[in-house]
Amino acid sequence: MKITIERGALLKSLNHVQSVVERRNTIPILSNVLIKAEDGQLSLTATDLDIEVVESIDADVAQKGATTAPAHTLYDIVRKLPDGAQVELSTGADEGRLQLTAGRSRFALQALPQEDFPAMAAGQLPHHFDLPAEAMRRLIDKTRFAISTEETRYYLNGIYLHAVESGKAGVLRAVATDGHRLAQVDHDLPAGASGMPGVIVPRKTVLELQKLLEGNAGTISVGVSETKIRFEFAGVVLTSKLIDGTFPDYGRVIPADNDKIMQVDGKRFAEAVDRVSTISTEKSRAVKLNLDEGRLTLSVTNPDSGSATEELSVSYSSTPLEIGFNARYLLDITGQLDGAEATFALADSGSPTLVRDSDDEKAIYVLMPMRV
Amino acid sequence: MGVIHRLSEGTINRIAAGEVVERPASAVKELIENALDAGARHIDIIISGGGRDLIRITDDGCGMSPEDLALAIERHATSKLRVDETGREDLLDIATLGFRGEALPSIGAVARLSILSRVVGSDAAHRVTVEGGHVSPVEPAAGPMGTRIEVRDLFFATPARLKFLKGERAETLAVTDIVKRLAMAHPEVAFSLTSEARNILRLEAEMPGEVGRLGRLGAIMGRDFAENALAIEAMREGIALTGFAGLPTYNRGTAQMQFLFVNGRPVRDKLVIGAVRGAYADYLARDRHPAVALFVDLDPREVDVNVHPAKSEVRFRDAGLVRGLIVGALRHALHEAGHRASTTVADAALGALRPVAQPAFSSGGFTRSYAPMQTPGVAETAPKWQGAFADLGGQAARVVTEAATDAPPPAENLPLGVARGQLHETYIVAQTADGIVIVDQHAAHERLVYERMKKAMAERGVTRQILLIPEVVELDEAEAERLAARAGELAELGFVLEGFGSGAVVVREVPAIFGKLDVGGLVRDLADDLSEMDEALSLKEKLEDVCGTIACHGSVRSGRRLTAEEMNALLREMEATPHSGQCNHGRPTYVELKLTDIERLFGRR
Repeated sequence: MKITIERGALLKSLNHVQSVVERRNTIPILSNVLIKAEDGQLSLTATDLDIEVVESIDADVAQKGATTAPAHTLYDIVRKLPDGAQVELSTGADEGRLQLTAGRSRFALQALPQEDFPAMAAGQLPHHFDLPAEAMRRLIDKTRFAISTEETRYYLNGIYLHAVESGKAGVLRAVATDGHRLAQVDHDLPAGASGMPGVIVPRKTVLELQKLLEGNAGTISVGVSETKIRFEFAGVVLTSKLIDGTFPDYGRVIPADNDKIMQVDGKRFAEAVDRVSTISTEKSRAVKLNLDEGRLTLSVTNPDSGSATEELSVSYSSTPLEIGFNARYLLDITGQLDGAEATFALADSGSPTLVRDSDDEKAIYVLMPMRV
Repeated sequence: MGVIHRLSEGTINRIAAGEVVERPASAVKELIENALDAGARHIDIIISGGGRDLIRITDDGCGMSPEDLALAIERHATSKLRVDETGREDLLDIATLGFRGEALPSIGAVARLSILSRVVGSDAAHRVTVEGGHVSPVEPAAGPMGTRIEVRDLFFATPARLKFLKGERAETLAVTDIVKRLAMAHPEVAFSLTSEARNILRLEAEMPGEVGRLGRLGAIMGRDFAENALAIEAMREGIALTGFAGLPTYNRGTAQMQFLFVNGRPVRDKLVIGAVRGAYADYLARDRHPAVALFVDLDPREVDVNVHPAKSEVRFRDAGLVRGLIVGALRHALHEAGHRASTTVADAALGALRPVAQPAFSSGGFTRSYAPMQTPGVAETAPKWQGAFADLGGQAARVVTEAATDAPPPAENLPLGVARGQLHETYIVAQTADGIVIVDQHAAHERLVYERMKKAMAERGVTRQILLIPEVVELDEAEAERLAARAGELAELGFVLEGFGSGAVVVREVPAIFGKLDVGGLVRDLADDLSEMDEALSLKEKLEDVCGTIACHGSVRSGRRLTAEEMNALLREMEATPHSGQCNHGRPTYVELKLTDIERLFGRR
């Protein structure tokens, strides 16, 4: 194998694939990236046995071939090479090494045979649909924060992606919850998605996808089966296993008839919550909301450091209400709102509260209060 | 012909013996209890071969007449159950240690038993012997006042049991253990235990009352215990609890130093283990155990001792009350102890100083005599004597000039003294009226922050996060019911759950401080706690654990320079805060060295 490629292109692709590779591995070859050269294309593959990312880029291939080399080391080397350098990768007579030459720098990396590199069999992906990158990004960006990191309820460690009937038209819906709050974002159902099974996309896959989608404006082709999901776009193929579990019936926890409606400037609300919560040093970070005709009072009391209150004028005309929330959860949710106004639909101090963006009917957030 | 036939008397006795006399130690226990019930003031125990070859117990009790002797070796014959007016024995009103009337015949069935007894005031002694169940007639013999019982070749009649005995050493240890336990309960009686002509235990009769009891406990549990024990005294609804509890800093790796006596009877009960762990939970790491000796005295009718032939288990009519009494009394005593740390801590420190200090006299080197003046912990990490010497003029020994020159407040009335300096930016050295105090600044401050957090939590209650998706946890039916029954208590700790059909609970709210939490795991731990110890320890421990972590991050670290004002403020706060003598893991926060100890170090005394 012998190829030459511009440093910038190689770095970008290596950056994409190397983040899948775990820092520490019990199987040595999992630390490596598979490098394959054929017909003017260089393809890089990395996997952790749950996710596989393949990225193909144009390169000047002098001699076909394939090998594997330590992903993180290779990435670090290329990162440190000067801008615009031409990088030459080759396996010489010595098959056990990958030679990397750029200008006057020369590296020889320990390589492992490409035959040993685990290939992920995607199997049949019976459901296919295309989605604009923009839409995909929105689905995961706005729900990601609510993914649970607690391992015992493993079926909450991802985003639940599924097709549902909503009114006349179907929607593609992403839902995530950690048992304390929930985020649900809809998108018009793309052609071909109507029969897809509900799948739970693992957290790591979501993070990788988010990274890969950065600055991408094209169309993503998604393939789904009961156990795998594949995203293809701009020379990148990400294949991932799915979480094998049943996502809870989240519909039951979304309140339908919360009638106390508060509308508030989302940005000012978030700033105020952030300010008053400075006082609370505990992990719990409870903030109390006192709602009255046209007025919201945020307050935090911490016997150790004092207390804080801030008043906001809001649109509210129901009976007065006092309710407590975790400040961090409130900030997480307000961080997702793009519109000017945030709408809170409340019932009482012990029931779930619904939050939505006044401009975006298709994203809703549910938050459980705290007893303070 | 039928296949069922009656067992012979001998077989019945041998089976019964298997329950009562399990090993030599249980025979010793039965016989000592008989002696105690007979009002002995002095009990002499001689064993050989771990008690297998010979057990001889001599007492100066009331003795038995020849008629009694003949009856004593019959099964279910006893002097200890009173016959009430209806002619029935009252098994509810048991004031003596024994009552089943099983010990002597059982031993007689499996060994060569000989009883020599002389009643007080009588001029002749009598002897009766039983060999493997064969009784010889009572005959006159010469002997002192009281009773001497000799058991030879225990289990010779039951070879199977003999085979399953442990080694001689192990059996001797078991005998020693039981003698110790009985001796702890009866300080007014002198005990002596001899094995193979070697005197293992010699306990003089102690004065009655608390002093005598502490003396006896000290003699058995070690003098350190006596010096670091807090007297326990509590009374509730006719149940009296007395005894002594060790300071948290005087802790052990196992729970072996925990003794419970019910009406003078040593018992092993899960109740005490749970109660003690609950009471000390706040002061000790999970794997450390305090030393306690607790004596519960109550109306014999309130406790059932007839649970087990060996009577090592008892059943209280109101176990919750006894438990509550123990936990309450221990907590109260520990609370009173305030910031007291155990003297063993100072002893350990002095012990570490002494061996190095000795050669300093012979060699006369100033540098060497300086080095050991550091606390042991520092001595390890600091470079050897050169480093320590160089530090003298450097930053390590930073003398608080302000405190030393500006007329210091009188040290007499301050238990922890006045700060004189900070060593290695980690330890505060303070001068008290009669010694010096070395404080670990991080451990001390951590404890203070922790106590403050706990107080805040107790005042305001635990903030709870309501779950959006309540979590259903499957348990077995009994566990689920137990948890549901204690829901009110758990709610106070921030954990709201309720029963969910049979064999499951649904958790609705959790303490917000936990953040993300394995609810199922915690619920199962709680169910185990409730069944084993009757208290929700896991939840409390987890709350304390989280508080502890926060306290650790929120407290002054080692390596922080403190001004004299800061150091003195810390000392004053330690004096004012209960339980500041140990950190959350039972390690001391300060060490006090008395001036006399220091003088001894330098050979002045």
